[in-house]
Amino acid sequence: MTHGDPAIHRYSGQAQRIALLCALGGTLASLVGLVWNPALFFRAYLVAYTFWLGLALGCLVLLMIQYLTGGGWGLLLRRVLEAGSRTLLPLVLLFLPLLIGLHSIYPWTTQAPGDQSGRAIYLKVGFFLGRAAFYFVVWLILGYLLNRWSTDLESGRIPRSTRRFRLLSGPGLVLYGFTITFASVDWVMSLEPKWVSTIFPPLYAVGQLLTGLSFAVATLLLLSRYSSIGVNLRPNHLRDLGNLLLTFVMLWAYISFSQFLLIWVESLPEEIPWYLRRTRGGWQMLAFLLVVFQFGLPFLMLLSRKVKENSPSLATIAGLILAMRFFDLLWWIEPAYPERTAWFLVLDVSTWIGLGGFLMWWFLRKLRERSLLPLHDPYLAHYLPEAVPNE
Amino acid sequence: MIEQGAKSETRADTAIPAPVGQGYTFGSVSDKISALVLTGRTPRGWWLGFLFSFLWLMILLYAIGYLVLEGVGIWGINIPVAWGFAITNFVWWIGIGHAGTLISAILLLLHQQWRTSINRFAEAMTLFAVACAGLFPLLHLGRPWFFYWLFPYPNTMKIWPQFRSPLIWDVFAVSTYMTVSLMFWYVGLIPDVATLRDRARSRLAQITYGILALGWRGSAYHWHRYEVAYLILAGLATPLVVSVHTVVSFDFAVANLPGWHSTVFPPYFVAGAIFSGFAMVLTIAIPLRAVYHLEDFISDWHLENMAKIMLATGLLVAYGYFIEAFMAWYGGNRFEQYVQLNRMFGPYAVWYWLLIGCNVLAPQLLWVKRFRRNTTLLLIVALIVLVGMWLERFVIIITSLHRDFLPSSWGMYSPTIWDWATLIGSVGLFLSLLFLFVRLLPIISMFEMRTLVSETQVHEHTARNLGEE
Repeated sequence: MTHGDPAIHRYSGQAQRIALLCALGGTLASLVGLVWNPALFFRAYLVAYTFWLGLALGCLVLLMIQYLTGGGWGLLLRRVLEAGSRTLLPLVLLFLPLLIGLHSIYPWTTQAPGDQSGRAIYLKVGFFLGRAAFYFVVWLILGYLLNRWSTDLESGRIPRSTRRFRLLSGPGLVLYGFTITFASVDWVMSLEPKWVSTIFPPLYAVGQLLTGLSFAVATLLLLSRYSSIGVNLRPNHLRDLGNLLLTFVMLWAYISFSQFLLIWVESLPEEIPWYLRRTRGGWQMLAFLLVVFQFGLPFLMLLSRKVKENSPSLATIAGLILAMRFFDLLWWIEPAYPERTAWFLVLDVSTWIGLGGFLMWWFLRKLRERSLLPLHDPYLAHYLPEAVPNE
Repeated sequence: MIEQGAKSETRADTAIPAPVGQGYTFGSVSDKISALVLTGRTPRGWWLGFLFSFLWLMILLYAIGYLVLEGVGIWGINIPVAWGFAITNFVWWIGIGHAGTLISAILLLLHQQWRTSINRFAEAMTLFAVACAGLFPLLHLGRPWFFYWLFPYPNTMKIWPQFRSPLIWDVFAVSTYMTVSLMFWYVGLIPDVATLRDRARSRLAQITYGILALGWRGSAYHWHRYEVAYLILAGLATPLVVSVHTVVSFDFAVANLPGWHSTVFPPYFVAGAIFSGFAMVLTIAIPLRAVYHLEDFISDWHLENMAKIMLATGLLVAYGYFIEAFMAWYGGNRFEQYVQLNRMFGPYAVWYWLLIGCNVLAPQLLWVKRFRRNTTLLLIVALIVLVGMWLERFVIIITSLHRDFLPSSWGMYSPTIWDWATLIGSVGLFLSLLFLFVRLLPIISMFEMRTLVSETQVHEHTARNLGEE
């Protein structure tokens, strides 16, 4: 019903073309990789898929959180989060290539653990697929309802209240916590079937939130340059967004460090190999870069109010965190495989760009469908009084 | 990270409840809160409550006296369970001590204005809880008078504490927390103590509050410096909310013991601490509000917010129990699996299921708004959660210690009367301090409530305008 900002239409056409070009270029390069070394391609695909799924789910979770907590930041980010969560639909189809490459990705599909542990029951292809289907159904329903109601709210088909959003979001967050726990074990932790860490699922979820938030903040700040949404962006909003980013960066660092310290200090044979593989053979450089660029630098920068209130610098930090999220997932996934050829990094990046180009094209199409601000939200007058339309 | 705009925001939306009840002025807020302290007559209920708490405190003194005479042998601890009630009580009290700083520091930085009416007594509660917590590791030392050996100082014995032990990190974490919480509480009290000084009639009260007010005159300079100092302390206190219970969780997780060494422990312990802390704040707030008729300051909306935080942190705690059990099953480590089964079906199974009932099932009632608004029910849930969180620490400590890797070194633990006496006595210490606080200092921050009065007037004004349109 509602249509976006005219300015955004002009620029988003251009952005969509760039996204499609990225999709095309990346996919072509990855296809070369697929022909040349299928095993390598599927791992690269897992890294890229984990990243983009994290972005979509991160957006979905933040969407639920902002309905529950309220606040100006939620209204400003809402459309970006909505469009981000709507990339879940293509991501369901994009899960299929992982199924084709299941045997080259997961070692447990070819050699069963063969012991008395729960793994022997849990890691079975049929059960694995059933669980994946369940996760996607839950996520799609949550995403569909929140987006559907949002358009209904704009068109006046439902009462002007966020009550139903809040009623869904509370249980929705619990459902997300439940599904992502098993999804993280299925898709990433089981790459090294002997390794167990109770904090890994929360760490995986916080990583998704960080991906979603840094993406949404960077996108909002970019949009504010080219559209009227920038008028509503006050220094206190920028500060809130910066603080939110800081909180999630610290949370990520806190959980990562807890896991590292507790495994390092114990040095148990079933736990420590995970870190040994990731701190040898060049991977230690990436680990170091992650500490510096996904925690150290953003943390120090975001402490400063001046940096937070400056839109370009905040956007740069958000972009940096977003890029580092990809390398973080790369660092989680790639070292799980002992044999490696020199070209894996090129393939990882090209698959990431190829998949992302397509998803960003989809994202921009969805973003155009609605006004950039939820103009009929009952809290708009409270948090963003200048944005209330004159009727 | 440190914001100054927290108090200058105006609220002009009727959808968000007013922070103070209607019809209050600057003067009547101060009158109502300061009268609780400056009244000449002490209510009979206060005397009864204090007497009761003081008797329990005497039990503590007796138990400690006997402990010093006889040694820790009077407790039920032995090998293999060397950490009985003492450490359970320590972790329980220190966890309760988390809500105060969370409410004061984090909610301040998040612009949550509803914190204003509960932060003062929540901070006081934090201090008293940390004081109770601090007792137990010291008593557990066996020779508490050598407690200063825990600090690294150059000494003639040429020995240093074991820096690699999380128990030493505890000493630093807890003492830092105590210091910062105390400063935070005291700095926040200064303007109010000055109000009491100015309103007091008796000479003794005037002199005492006058000394405590540190020469506060309410000048613009004073207020400016006060605001800066308070925000800096809030910034300093924020990481401490997380760090203290993280270090406490390391006491367990760094030990190579099934059921203790689990990477999820740090955030799971922090969530549990906030969970029990809010339960204690509710346990104190609900009777206090009823006795002193403070419904205008501590409204149902405040209690509901706390109930929501309790529900959220309770879910995180439940997640902790779940993920431990799941990973033990999935991972296939025989010892981990045994500890989980032993907790659920072993000799201490009753306590495990009781703890699940208290911490996982009971808080689920709080999903329903009607229950969150029912103060009696809320109080009952809060008390259940307090019991549940004590049981949680008991189960973690006892079940992991009493059966470790070698069946030949297994054993059982049962507390003696002296264990119970020390636990009950510490509750007496906590309550006695709390009663004294309620009688001698303003339980709600008067000057912060005054800033909310002007906002409430804006509220009423907009509400009237909306009505006219």
